[in-house]
Amino acid sequence: MNAPIIDPLQGDFPEVIEEYLEHGVIKCVAFNHRGSLLAAGCADGGCVIFDFETRGIAKELRENDCAAAITSVSWSKYGHRLLVSAADKSLTLWDVSTGEKIARTTLQQTPLHARLNPGLSSPSLCLACPLSSAPMIVDFEIGCTTLLPVSVPEMPDVLAPQQRSKCAESGPPFSPAAACFNKCGDLVYVGNAKGEILIVDYKSVRVLALVPVTGGSAVKNIVFSRNGQYLLTNSHDRTIRIYENLLPGKNVLSSLEELGKNVDGLDGVEKMKTVGSKCLTLFREFQDLVTKMHWKAPCFSGDGEWVVGGSACKGEHKIYIWDRAGHLVKILEGPKEALIDLAWHPVHPVIVSVSLTGLVYIWAKDYTENWSAFAPDFKELEENEEYVEREDEFDLIPETGKVKVSSVNEDEEVDIETVEKDAFSDSDMSVEELRYLPAEPIPDTNEEEQDELKLIEARISASPASEEAGQNGHVADHTSSPLGEEMGETRGKRKRKPSEKAMELQAEKAKSSKASGRTVREKSRASGDQEIDGSVNGVDDDDDDAYF
Amino acid sequence: MPSGGNGVGNGGAGTSGGSQTFKPYRHLKTLEGHTAAISCVKYSNDGNLLASASLDKSMILWSATNYSLIHRYEGHSSGVSDLAWSSDSHYTCSASDDCTLRIWDARAPYECLKVLRGHTNFVFCVNFNPPSNLIVSGSFDETIRIWEVKTGRCVRVIKEAHSMPITSVHFNRDGSLIVSGSHDGSCKIWDAKEGTCLKTLIDDKSPAVSFAKFSPNGKFILVATLDSTLKLSNYATGKFIKVYTGHTNKVFCITSAFSVTNGKYIVSGSEDNCVYLWDLQHKTILQRLQGHTDAVISVTCHPVHNQIASSANHLDRTIRIWKQEDA
Repeated sequence: MNAPIIDPLQGDFPEVIEEYLEHGVIKCVAFNHRGSLLAAGCADGGCVIFDFETRGIAKELRENDCAAAITSVSWSKYGHRLLVSAADKSLTLWDVSTGEKIARTTLQQTPLHARLNPGLSSPSLCLACPLSSAPMIVDFEIGCTTLLPVSVPEMPDVLAPQQRSKCAESGPPFSPAAACFNKCGDLVYVGNAKGEILIVDYKSVRVLALVPVTGGSAVKNIVFSRNGQYLLTNSHDRTIRIYENLLPGKNVLSSLEELGKNVDGLDGVEKMKTVGSKCLTLFREFQDLVTKMHWKAPCFSGDGEWVVGGSACKGEHKIYIWDRAGHLVKILEGPKEALIDLAWHPVHPVIVSVSLTGLVYIWAKDYTENWSAFAPDFKELEENEEYVEREDEFDLIPETGKVKVSSVNEDEEVDIETVEKDAFSDSDMSVEELRYLPAEPIPDTNEEEQDELKLIEARISASPASEEAGQNGHVADHTSSPLGEEMGETRGKRKRKPSEKAMELQAEKAKSSKASGRTVREKSRASGDQEIDGSVNGVDDDDDDAYF
Repeated sequence: MPSGGNGVGNGGAGTSGGSQTFKPYRHLKTLEGHTAAISCVKYSNDGNLLASASLDKSMILWSATNYSLIHRYEGHSSGVSDLAWSSDSHYTCSASDDCTLRIWDARAPYECLKVLRGHTNFVFCVNFNPPSNLIVSGSFDETIRIWEVKTGRCVRVIKEAHSMPITSVHFNRDGSLIVSGSHDGSCKIWDAKEGTCLKTLIDDKSPAVSFAKFSPNGKFILVATLDSTLKLSNYATGKFIKVYTGHTNKVFCITSAFSVTNGKYIVSGSEDNCVYLWDLQHKTILQRLQGHTDAVISVTCHPVHNQIASSANHLDRTIRIWKQEDA
């Protein structure tokens, strides 16, 4: 787009890398409904759930017989279940709070993309898009797979055969079609290789409407915005298109049936197209005219205001952000590691991107201190104002003169209990959402100071591996004070690089010969010395003040 | 030693426009067990347990049903100034003058699960966030630290948060904000995720702030200052809406509480050895609970029943349980 770039200061989108998460080689990520948990699928077949608030690991889901790379993860609407698809053609449904496997099926082909039905609270129904066959609906309870139609043939009857775990024989071989559920989960929108969007009722396996995508090139990704009002398609012609969803939020099926009945005198494809034109209208197109790059993992922001697309051409890690009107607002550039997956936090202006090396980068706004926050009567001015003093500003007034009148009505009723309804409970509250996994403190094995230092030593030699709950004596998670201090020191951007810290500590350990940090601290405190913790690691530059 | 409940004042029929008559609290029980001043008492969120922390370096876990002693936690090498319960009532965290915080299991075998090190001076106040995956602590070293519960890692240090010891820290209802009060007279609100200061509330005369906490819905902040005043402030506007006086608070960091189980009250200890109850809206003193023989340092309200627990200083060393009369 040749439109000018909007002043980035006005936008509510991330700007810099704040931190990165590491746990083996991560392949794909997904936020839960509120963004409090981040599920990440790894190359070794395991899935780890990060607590996004603490940026630590909340749970690990691992199946012993699955060692193939995870291709996608998907949460159920209320966060109780997680669907994981892997390169060994399997789909596994996990219960998040217990960490137990609920069900597992194996398909004919590796599913690239699998999504749980967003309309149900405990879904056992999911949509899987395999590598080279039609998207299918997999029902875990019944145990059957239903292939969805990917094209509307010129013949009147359109039903695709209902088959049990078999590939469709008829038809030319096609490149992968993309599909997604609509917001309430009763329709599937399929984007096929001919450049058409089909609206399919998966229960009756019927195509209800057809929307041709301008340009007619294969659709690679198709994604709804969170509120279901906008639909995004990413096509092979390197263009992202935004469609506005004209269908109502609820009772979509009956509305579609109505539309179908109202179209007289048309049959087959024409009828589909007419109905389709009432369901979606093209809103905008985005492409990079200069570099003409292929977009990876495009999606909407949580509020649907921004569209983000990743670019991995030439091994770069670039994230493009547009506003919905089509103006390119920002290009975020990451380290030289190709980008493979992207997710926007449902609530905050935070983006999470996965690089080829398996690291998850967290992008957030660059926070600067608001100086008016430091005193209650500071006010922020948009521009310099000339201060004109009052006539009597500098007069010496006797004490009896001014009495401050309290402008606050002190007799007003104060309500300390009622809480406003959450903006994010966009559906009924009958089902309780799983927002957080309970944090159980991993017990310290020892509290003796000598042992504590031995643990630090051991930690240096051990690799910065994952923190596994319940494993006592596992050294990786004992952050005694020196490491803890260093981790949290900088106020702004924090980069957790365990290996660097470990090496620094090792250097320090070589220098200092103190057996017990604690006794030294006591002595220091007694004699009023500075650098109390500096004696143990000596890398703190900020502990310069005396505390007494 | 009088162990009666009702004191002088407007106790009894405080019906000034309110919908219910105020039923006075009466003394139910006295709990002994600590050998030094008790700095903090808190009921667990499920109402089954009561924990008390003391300058005798120990913490005691009591049953809130029959008030028998369940366990005495030893481990700190110096007096304990504050304690906090996790939301699921499984864990407590204690803040001590030995510069550490300890996370204890409130279930058998009542172990000390973690020691959080990092502060360089007395840790004075502590609180869990509502999801209970983070702990915030304030210290005499003028920093606020946020810790991850699971691993004990210090997630963030807010340095130079205040220019004097921090007396109180509290998360709001959704865990996005932290309010902190300090001896330097200021009360500040921080963004919990980024650690940036969002607002400063200072009154004109700026006496030391001894206690600050959010109301249950997170819209108001109750601030106690060492000029014997309790103020309820609207966090958004920064204006003090209600002022509660009548008690004495010039020296100690006395905790206050909201009582919402039967009518809305503000409860606070006082240096004149009484527990004060004010009507939230009308700011009138509804009752003064007498019985302690030294300054009442900490009060806590049961989440379900109409009970208050209060604890006192060195000369007294007891916890008293007060129960509201039934209809």
